[in-house]
Amino acid sequence: MVVLAVAGLFVGKYPLSMQQLVAGDPMQWRVFLTLRCSRTVVGVVGGFALGVAGFVYQTVFGNPLASPDIIGVSSGASAGAAAGILFLSGAAAVTASAFAGALLAVVLALGLSSLNRSGKSSTIVLAGIAVHSLAQTVLMCLKLTADPERELASIEYWIMGSLNGISVHSIGGNLVLCALCMVALFLLHRQIILLSAEEGEARMLGVCVQRLRLAVLMIATLAVSSVVSLTGLISFVGLLAPHGARLLTKENRMGTMLLSGLLGGALLCGADILARSAAAAELPVSIFTSILGAPFLIFLIVQGRQRG
Amino acid sequence: MSFFSVEQISAGYGGREILRGISFELEQGCFMGILGANGCGKTTLLKSICGILPHRGRCLLEQTVLEELSARQLAGRVGYIPQRSGISIDISVLDVVLMGFNPQLGLLERPGKRMKEQAAQALEQVGLAGKEEENYLCLSEGQKQLCILVRTIVSESRLLLLDEPESALDFRYRHRMLKLLRGWAAQERRAALVTLHDPSLALNVCDRLLLLSQGGVLGILEPQTDSLERMEPLLCQMYGKVSLQRCQNRRGESQLVMLSEEESADESD
Repeated sequence: MVVLAVAGLFVGKYPLSMQQLVAGDPMQWRVFLTLRCSRTVVGVVGGFALGVAGFVYQTVFGNPLASPDIIGVSSGASAGAAAGILFLSGAAAVTASAFAGALLAVVLALGLSSLNRSGKSSTIVLAGIAVHSLAQTVLMCLKLTADPERELASIEYWIMGSLNGISVHSIGGNLVLCALCMVALFLLHRQIILLSAEEGEARMLGVCVQRLRLAVLMIATLAVSSVVSLTGLISFVGLLAPHGARLLTKENRMGTMLLSGLLGGALLCGADILARSAAAAELPVSIFTSILGAPFLIFLIVQGRQRG
Repeated sequence: MSFFSVEQISAGYGGREILRGISFELEQGCFMGILGANGCGKTTLLKSICGILPHRGRCLLEQTVLEELSARQLAGRVGYIPQRSGISIDISVLDVVLMGFNPQLGLLERPGKRMKEQAAQALEQVGLAGKEEENYLCLSEGQKQLCILVRTIVSESRLLLLDEPESALDFRYRHRMLKLLRGWAAQERRAALVTLHDPSLALNVCDRLLLLSQGGVLGILEPQTDSLERMEPLLCQMYGKVSLQRCQNRRGESQLVMLSEEESADESD
């Protein structure tokens, strides 16, 4: 990941070189600091957060296919972003409204699930699916009213996700929030593993299952929303990174969680480098996370068949 | 005042009542078995006692009402072993056992060296020495059960609730495990409540037997001291025509054997 991150600093449309940087070329420095640095930082931190959040989700739900998407974060963020593009102006406003959308979706999903007293984790998934389709509907309505020339295009582009257009000024708050969430998750990692046991079993191990699960999911989702609202949707990272980490370590410990974050960061950085250098125009980063991710998923399936 | 008492517990699933006003008492050091036909509410009773299932009535452990405790306080006092553990992620045996220390640890605290040693020692006791780093999911069902048992024992709870702990174990492990459990329960301020499937086994390893039938208590047996004449009719009510005999093994130790007296299908035709 470190290699990819360093590469990420120097690859791009505007050629940068170490010599010129050291020599203190002001134009070089400006590009380096305002564009490359922030972009790479978001790639690393964002990928890390997606990876860790994916790990948390898969563990808590005991389901290898779980990812933050299942409780409607991404569709909430998309709907929020679309609203931002239509009714507000400026990139920061779009980010803020995407974040608000994601948060609203999560609060709605978790709130709905806590209405049901049974407290099963499947309730959360169901509530998430309901919220997801609700957000999709809102998104569609917004798209219908959008101006097809400019607004609709930018909504679509946002949904495809990109690290383009990230600048130093807009990322501070989100990154701090994201980092705080990561710290909290790592502190809670033992409890997260406990949550993977069956409800009654976890309860008898002294875990306040419902409250803890809600808290952990909330924290993980907050981290994801803070990333997604900056970058737009990024597919596969949250699903793949934890699987890769588990394949490498064959267990579930703090190390696995960390590795899953690192893999996520590497994947997103790598995909971003490809996204900005593969073609003349900027490509959406999700294309590359998917291109890298899909074969890996197929590999996992084949592997699983051999083992099982 | 008894060590543990259950007072008028009623419980069920989705409006259908399975337990109807169950009451019984348990002395300290007692290893009590629960016998009953399939679906008579054995598991439901255990789940109600440990508060996983909503129920009416209450349970008292050393004058503490279990229903009023938080999950954490309860876990420090009562250990529960389900028929099958719900662990479904790759995790090492040692980590599974260390889960048992959770009630003693703060929210963010991690298990210390002493706990790891204690866990390794307990694993050795049940014959799982050297398997600490193995993947829990790759163990056999019987070994999994032993592992979960170890997890519960290290948690220093006072009352153990076990749901068919012997179901996946072979003959040798079964006796080893039950001996271990009896020894554990015989200590001061402890007791165990175990559902068992095999009446012959239950008659020989338990201090007392709680007979459940159709959601109620049919009777309580003390197999070591009760006469055959008292026990046989009660067992017949549960299992149909059976007879009970005392046999001796070669060392002269008496064991109870339950035999079927049901006429076979061909003869009754």
